Amino acid sequence: MSDLAFLSPSLASAVDGVSPRYRSPLEHALAGAGDALRDLSTLGKLEVRRELDAALEAGAPEVVRIAPNRTLVLCEAEAAPALAAQLGAVDVSAALAGLALSGERLMRRLTDLDLDGLPAMGAVAGIQCTVLRDEDEFRLFFAQEYGDHVAAVVLDAMAGLR
Amino acid sequence: MRLPAQPGERLDRTRPLTFTFEGATVEAFEGDTIASALYAGGRRVFSRSFKYHRPRGLLCCTGSCPNCLMQVDGAPGIRACIEPARAGAVVRAQNVLGSLDRDALAVIGKIGGPFTPVGFYYRTMIRPRWAWPYYEKVLRNLAGLGRVDRHGRRTRRFDTEHRRTQVLVIGGSEGGVTAARAAAAAGEQVVLVDEGLSLELGGLDELGIEVVAPARAIGIYEGGLVPVDAGNVLLRFRAERIVVATGSLDQPLVFPGNDLVGVMLPNGIRRLVREWALRPGERAVVIAPAVEPIVDDLRAAGTEVARVFDLNERPPKEIVARGRKGRLASVRVDGETVACDLLVMSSGRQPAYSLLAQAGARIEYDAATGIFVPRDLPANVEAAGSVAGTSHAVPNLFPASAGKRRFVCLCEDVTTKDVRRAIAEGFDSLELAKRYTTVTMGPCQGRLCHLASVRLYARETGSDEAAIGTTTARPPWSPVTLGLLAGRGHEPVKHTSLHRRHEELGARMMWAGAWRRVHSYGDPAEETRAVHRAVGVIDVSTLGKLVVSGPDAVAFLERLYPNRFVDLKPGRIRYGVLGTDAGRIMDDGTIGRLSEQQLYVTTTSTGAEAVLEWFEWWNAVWRMDVEIVDVTGALAAVNVAGPNARELLGRLTELDVSPDGFRYLDLKEAPVAGTPCLLLRIGFVGELGYEIHCPSPLAEHLWDTLLERGADLGVRPFGLEAQRILRLEKQHIIVGQDTDSESNAIDAGMPWIVKLDKEDFVGKWALEHLQERGPRERLVGFELDGAAVPAEGSQVVVAGRPAGRVTSARWSDELQRSIGLAWVPPALAEEGSRLEIRLNGSLQPAVVRARPFFDPEGTRLRS
Amino acid sequence: MSFRLSCPSCGPRDVNEFAYGGELAARPQERPDVRELGSYLYFRANVAGVQREWWFHRLGCELWFQAERDTRTNEVLRTDACVSETQAPLADGPVEPADAAIPPEPAV
Repeated sequence: MSDLAFLSPSLASAVDGVSPRYRSPLEHALAGAGDALRDLSTLGKLEVRRELDAALEAGAPEVVRIAPNRTLVLCEAEAAPALAAQLGAVDVSAALAGLALSGERLMRRLTDLDLDGLPAMGAVAGIQCTVLRDEDEFRLFFAQEYGDHVAAVVLDAMAGLR
Repeated sequence: MRLPAQPGERLDRTRPLTFTFEGATVEAFEGDTIASALYAGGRRVFSRSFKYHRPRGLLCCTGSCPNCLMQVDGAPGIRACIEPARAGAVVRAQNVLGSLDRDALAVIGKIGGPFTPVGFYYRTMIRPRWAWPYYEKVLRNLAGLGRVDRHGRRTRRFDTEHRRTQVLVIGGSEGGVTAARAAAAAGEQVVLVDEGLSLELGGLDELGIEVVAPARAIGIYEGGLVPVDAGNVLLRFRAERIVVATGSLDQPLVFPGNDLVGVMLPNGIRRLVREWALRPGERAVVIAPAVEPIVDDLRAAGTEVARVFDLNERPPKEIVARGRKGRLASVRVDGETVACDLLVMSSGRQPAYSLLAQAGARIEYDAATGIFVPRDLPANVEAAGSVAGTSHAVPNLFPASAGKRRFVCLCEDVTTKDVRRAIAEGFDSLELAKRYTTVTMGPCQGRLCHLASVRLYARETGSDEAAIGTTTARPPWSPVTLGLLAGRGHEPVKHTSLHRRHEELGARMMWAGAWRRVHSYGDPAEETRAVHRAVGVIDVSTLGKLVVSGPDAVAFLERLYPNRFVDLKPGRIRYGVLGTDAGRIMDDGTIGRLSEQQLYVTTTSTGAEAVLEWFEWWNAVWRMDVEIVDVTGALAAVNVAGPNARELLGRLTELDVSPDGFRYLDLKEAPVAGTPCLLLRIGFVGELGYEIHCPSPLAEHLWDTLLERGADLGVRPFGLEAQRILRLEKQHIIVGQDTDSESNAIDAGMPWIVKLDKEDFVGKWALEHLQERGPRERLVGFELDGAAVPAEGSQVVVAGRPAGRVTSARWSDELQRSIGLAWVPPALAEEGSRLEIRLNGSLQPAVVRARPFFDPEGTRLRS
Repeated sequence: MSFRLSCPSCGPRDVNEFAYGGELAARPQERPDVRELGSYLYFRANVAGVQREWWFHRLGCELWFQAERDTRTNEVLRTDACVSETQAPLADGPVEPADAAIPPEPAV
């Protein structure tokens, strides 16, 4: 069995004293955007593509049930590989960009999702996205290759509300 | 000229403002519309009609007719009667040559009448055929509604917002307000949308009702979607319950001279007097079914009411309005002539049912009340107030008189004669006649002409309104700016983790599906030289990547691909072609075995999403014990290719990269430059090469290290264009470029992939039949005698007849030849066959090459 | 199109979140002859009425499920994740899950 280490950015090691530099997919797009948006891309993220065992769940810091066959687990970046092995999950830390923003009105400019029915996985800014809500704060997790797109749409929507 | 303050008027007389109309300053108050301010200043002609350029004045004052369309701040087709007067606004007349009062084009109406019936241009302007573009240009200039600045820049911002509510009330009519109050009292979340015409919306927000005004519901779409035009924001409402309270609309009478300036509808009078304190005229005649409120309004304004005809009591047999220079001067009713400058007329009110019809209600004619009413409302949609059918209307057609037109449709200048003519020409169904005459298709969308046109049809065809029925009600119910529908228009675009690096290198980018990819960094030929002589690196992060795992993982892929995988050993890779059940090539890529029960599948860049859907689909059907995880975005990938690739890789990893330690088609997991990686030794570009897949956040580090440590080895980044040349030298196909939706793996020259001895796989039966039938065409390489490069899609010609097509062609710097791939008849698929390729109109000789142009033995690839 | 579909996992969503997979298809159990294969690959019932069809929650949980939809009104009567073994999807759209889709012999 391969442990799929090549999926885990946290397993990078220093060579000749040089550690691989971690680049967030939102790093560039959010430069100069102020503190209204927070980059959550560096978090550890795991995906379980089947019913998650309740006993195993106890060991996970934050479990987001999206669908019966799909669960997102959020954790510290370094903890991701070990937790993935423990839960039988896939380390998707590198696959997903994360963005925190606040304001229901802003979210309504981005998505048709029922904001009272979160967490959910659905279309935000025209792409697949997992959305979590904590009162007026929303956390979005989406494919990192859309990082520049999502940042552009969110910043543009914010400009439209100013 | 204003009346003294009226109770409930909209004006804030303490806040005057000015705007310009045709360059002249117009005084207004806050609360005025552009039309009311112009009316106060004495203006009576507000537009010129669509076709005949007849002067037209205010008619409805509720945004229901075309009579006050103007150009405001550059935007055409603005309804001046409901457009709030704004300080500094620049207002112009539209569809005129000269001025509103002296429009040179009015000559069309004077002389053109008999020569320009409905649809005349289809009959008279068809010969000579080449002249149509000129006719069209002339027609466009003569008729139309305003001008769009084709060089204009975006000056307004339009946003889209998704909204939900329990109850959405459309229209602030009395019925709407009552329904909103009731719903709020019952504890429901209520949003009320109003055009801004209602005066009864005060105090609703205290009840927790959200009032959105001025705003217009554009339509009711499938699933109860109600887009609301709120000016700069399009609100897409989804409501549990929709209450339509759009009220009813004044219906005009159709009589000779009914379009003269000074002929108005009762609601227009009411608004002018009560809301903007204006005297609508000096001396009025009233012809309507309910006359008292009209007379009250006129008296309140100090207008002399010269004569009143109550249609409920004794309908006249004849009405003829006469004017001077387009303005009303007198009305003759049953032989009695009354001098007047104002004629208030109506045949009653028709429910504004369009939104209900769009929602699915059936529209039925009610003979007792003389109106069309909505019936059988769908669940969750209600009608409140007069839209439900509480109004009534009397017959509205009056006889013609010599030399006078009776307009059924003011928007498109359609007269009763035009409609009669259409029927005579055979357009006897209302839907057809609507398209021919364009009645109900203008800006009013049938608000003022639908009922009249149905009545006219009924009379002319000897039928009745119930049998004629209605035309289909379609969105938009209210005019909407295209910019609002367009919104912000962000198309999702994908960037690889190396996007900044490519930008920094000044790469020329290109689209590959939703991806931005590097076309080249400079000269593609130089890039190919680096790969052939030294080492090149290319960003292939866009490849689709799937991890397929579980006890049935191998069996699952065996059923999906024509290839065999049971004998694929862990740590080894095989090229695979994915096919459909019709045997058609869908995608291709590599399948590497990570372990007994784990496989790593790559797909084409643009096919990744379709392949994932395809895998999930079959898994839903077969229910095998397999888990599919898309890791496309999790991993960046760099292909390191060229004779120096081994040396470069060896410097960055502890892995044994010797020819025996890391063989062609081996797959390894190991850190490279401190980054956990998956390495695939494959060779799309034909040289010794390694595809290195690493976690995307670490891609820049890997890329930078490769360039830094490979500098002395002559490393150079290359783009897609160089890759396309390199792979063509090897005759490696690109799915979707060299294959199309008809291509199969056998004809495409890859029969070794297809294992027909397997029990079953997707496409097996079709491929068996194709095998029996034999190929109809084959994909082969060719080289041209000259230096010219044919365009993709160029014709392959054999004995003067088209016989095939070129799918790819490039100039190879390495081979100093023009090479390509083409589909040709099977008989020509042999090495050395001669063909011709059509190139810039002439035929260019070419030779078929059955084996790769470059390194046909694959020794460099396997070195 | 603006109708809504209820994903068995996620609940009602805008149709634009989904990919359409076409009518259910009956993949032959045994090796078909050319006629049967052609019918399976290319003939569709294309009913004006209630049709059972495949949908994929593309922008959501990525579940394939089946829906019963009235093709005239786009009213979705029901959705469920239950899938029959014999009903296979197709590359370019599926066919009716019955032999009725096999065209009659052409009259000579």
